[in-house]
Amino acid sequence: MKKEFSSFNFEFSRRRFLISGSILAAASALQLPNRADAMGKRDEDEKEPFVYDGSNYPFPIPWLDKNGSHNQPAGPTMEPSHIYHFKGKVARCADFRGMGTDNKGNRLAFGNPTTDNDIMQGEYYTGRTAQNGTFAHI
Amino acid sequence: MTLFKGQLAPANQVHDFHPPVGPCGLYWVVPVAEGGVTFSNDGRSAVLQMKGIEIIDQPKWPQFKAEAIPARMDLRIVWKATNEKFSYDDPQKQFRVDGFKAVAQLEASVEVPSIDFSWKSDPLETSTANFAIIGDEVNGKYYTP
Repeated sequence: MKKEFSSFNFEFSRRRFLISGSILAAASALQLPNRADAMGKRDEDEKEPFVYDGSNYPFPIPWLDKNGSHNQPAGPTMEPSHIYHFKGKVARCADFRGMGTDNKGNRLAFGNPTTDNDIMQGEYYTGRTAQNGTFAHI
Repeated sequence: MTLFKGQLAPANQVHDFHPPVGPCGLYWVVPVAEGGVTFSNDGRSAVLQMKGIEIIDQPKWPQFKAEAIPARMDLRIVWKATNEKFSYDDPQKQFRVDGFKAVAQLEASVEVPSIDFSWKSDPLETSTANFAIIGDEVNGKYYTP
């Protein structure tokens, strides 16, 4: 069974994808008490829906870089995709050289290996099913 | 995307724009809305065009716990294959990519409202990338040696 990814798909909306990590990190850092737990009783209405088959988020490449992250540097022997269990089209680029201007008229260059991008369009497997989507490493 | 004042060197880094790391561990990866990526029918060219990408500016990245400021980015990248084929197969890491070396060019603009900063690149044609490829990949469960 395939699921078509859409930016309007509630299960995987762009905004939710971007902000959920920040919210989780912030809550964890502050060690906010769970209100229902603090009352000694869990409020049924506040329960997250149970996910039986795992997340719909794509699975990151399992190989870790030297910084302990899932980042994949670009290069001829490096994997272009940032998504594991993936088949599809990819385009990868890195080490740009370019210039631009800020709002105060300063000329600022952009580039280096840290200016790297890629696109991944195709099928990925997660949540016990094949999904389709398009993603970009910015 | 890293901005520098002066030469492209870590000591001159003044901004670093990227999405946050996703809760699932995906590193600076965002989903792209329909129409944001276009591959040509022959797979030899591609365009990424996104507007209003919610990102962060971490001028001190990769320092641990570097301050992060909310920012927005518009981005357009164009890949065009050269005639040089590119292929790499790694049975140990279970991935294979087949395609072409490519030429990639980029134009972008960013805004960091809280510090009244914005920046716009010169036109796309003025940029170059030292590494670019375009092609097809399989990995993980889709990989067969």
